[in-house]
Amino acid sequence: MSSQNPERKQSLVGWDSHLSRIFLLLLFVVSAQGLTPNPEACLVFSSVNGSSISCQPPAQIPHSLPADTIFLAVEFFNLTQLPADFLQGVPNLQELHLSSNRLEDFSPKFLLPVPQLKVLDLTRNSLTGLFPGFFRVSAALCTLVLKGNQLKFLEASWLHGLKALRHLDLSENQLHSLPPGLLENFTDLLTLDLSNNQLQTLPPDLLRGPLNLERLHLEGNRLQVLGEGLLAPQPKLRYLFLNDNRLASVAAGAFRGLQKLDMLDLSNNLLTTVPTGLWTSLGKAARNLKDGFDISNNPWICDQNLADLYRWLVANENKMFFRNHTRCAGPEALKGQTLLAAAESH
Amino acid sequence: MADAEAGKKIFIQKCAQCHTVEKGGKHKTGPNLWGLFGRKTGQAPGFSYTEANKNKGIIWGEQTLMEYLENPKKYIPGTKMIFAGLKKKSEREDLIEYLKQATSS
Repeated sequence: MSSQNPERKQSLVGWDSHLSRIFLLLLFVVSAQGLTPNPEACLVFSSVNGSSISCQPPAQIPHSLPADTIFLAVEFFNLTQLPADFLQGVPNLQELHLSSNRLEDFSPKFLLPVPQLKVLDLTRNSLTGLFPGFFRVSAALCTLVLKGNQLKFLEASWLHGLKALRHLDLSENQLHSLPPGLLENFTDLLTLDLSNNQLQTLPPDLLRGPLNLERLHLEGNRLQVLGEGLLAPQPKLRYLFLNDNRLASVAAGAFRGLQKLDMLDLSNNLLTTVPTGLWTSLGKAARNLKDGFDISNNPWICDQNLADLYRWLVANENKMFFRNHTRCAGPEALKGQTLLAAAESH
Repeated sequence: MADAEAGKKIFIQKCAQCHTVEKGGKHKTGPNLWGLFGRKTGQAPGFSYTEANKNKGIIWGEQTLMEYLENPKKYIPGTKMIFAGLKKKSEREDLIEYLKQATSS
């Protein structure tokens, strides 16, 4: 900041104003860099777009927030609730990070003051549920993370209003089942993360709704069967994680029509065999699993029924993860051999 | 013994939604990570970082990444990265080994 006004420099008054300008500049620099001298204060960053406030213990949660706040993080506290009017007065808020608290529930009006909210991170709290209408003004919300809460079930109505949702993370909860029509109105959804729940079955229409789902995380559940129609509504799916389930049976048409799959993870399941036709349908994608596939840690029975899979393996072995962990559990003569070796000698 | 293959899977599963690694890869919700090792925080050209990230002021390497990836929001308070962290040391080691290889030539 240049303040070279020779006239001012020479007068006492001028020198004072020069000094105060330096002081103001320092304050601005200090606040812009968040170098608040008090460790018990929240970090505050100011930009032309607005203020970013970040609070962690030992800082105190502020009672009032700057009106131009666009980013607010209040994390690692032991809060079970936030005041109903907490977000009053920050109408431009775009990101709200509330991870690692102990939030149990919210006032139904909590999000009403922040219709421009794009990101809501509620990772690692103690939510057992939400309610219909909670997101009724949240038409701008792109990212909703409810990872690591205590949700045992979901109501589709809790998520009404989230027209722009792109990333929905419900992982690490205790979901046993999902309601029908969950994603019906989420036309822009790109990522759905349901990993590490307790899902045993999935509604057959689960994926009806999104027009361009890219990533589907189902790893770490209790799924036993992958049915014919589940993936049918999403031919452009790119990443499919089904590892760490109890899959013993995959329908022959389960992957039919997946044209853009980049990664398929079926590791750590109970697959002994696969139906004819399952793998040949994958081979039609031009990109053809460019990031790889993983079928390791399954109890494969390396007999004639795997002929299809063998052909495909040999053609795609450079994309195979964990070849040394992909082994035959039977028949006796082939027990312990790698699937790849069995495929190559077939 | 760090396993880059395992690290690649971790990356694809937990990081690739927001990050690319290859040279010239696009920025997404998070920055492309090419050139990460040996670089100061918040320096990938063309990405709009938070002030918090830019000001952290450390150099990314094995040790700083080990700490960061365990609990990103503790390491960089004010970050906009939404990632709870990898608790298992072996997973962080694997991921870092993969990143070492994938983000440099």
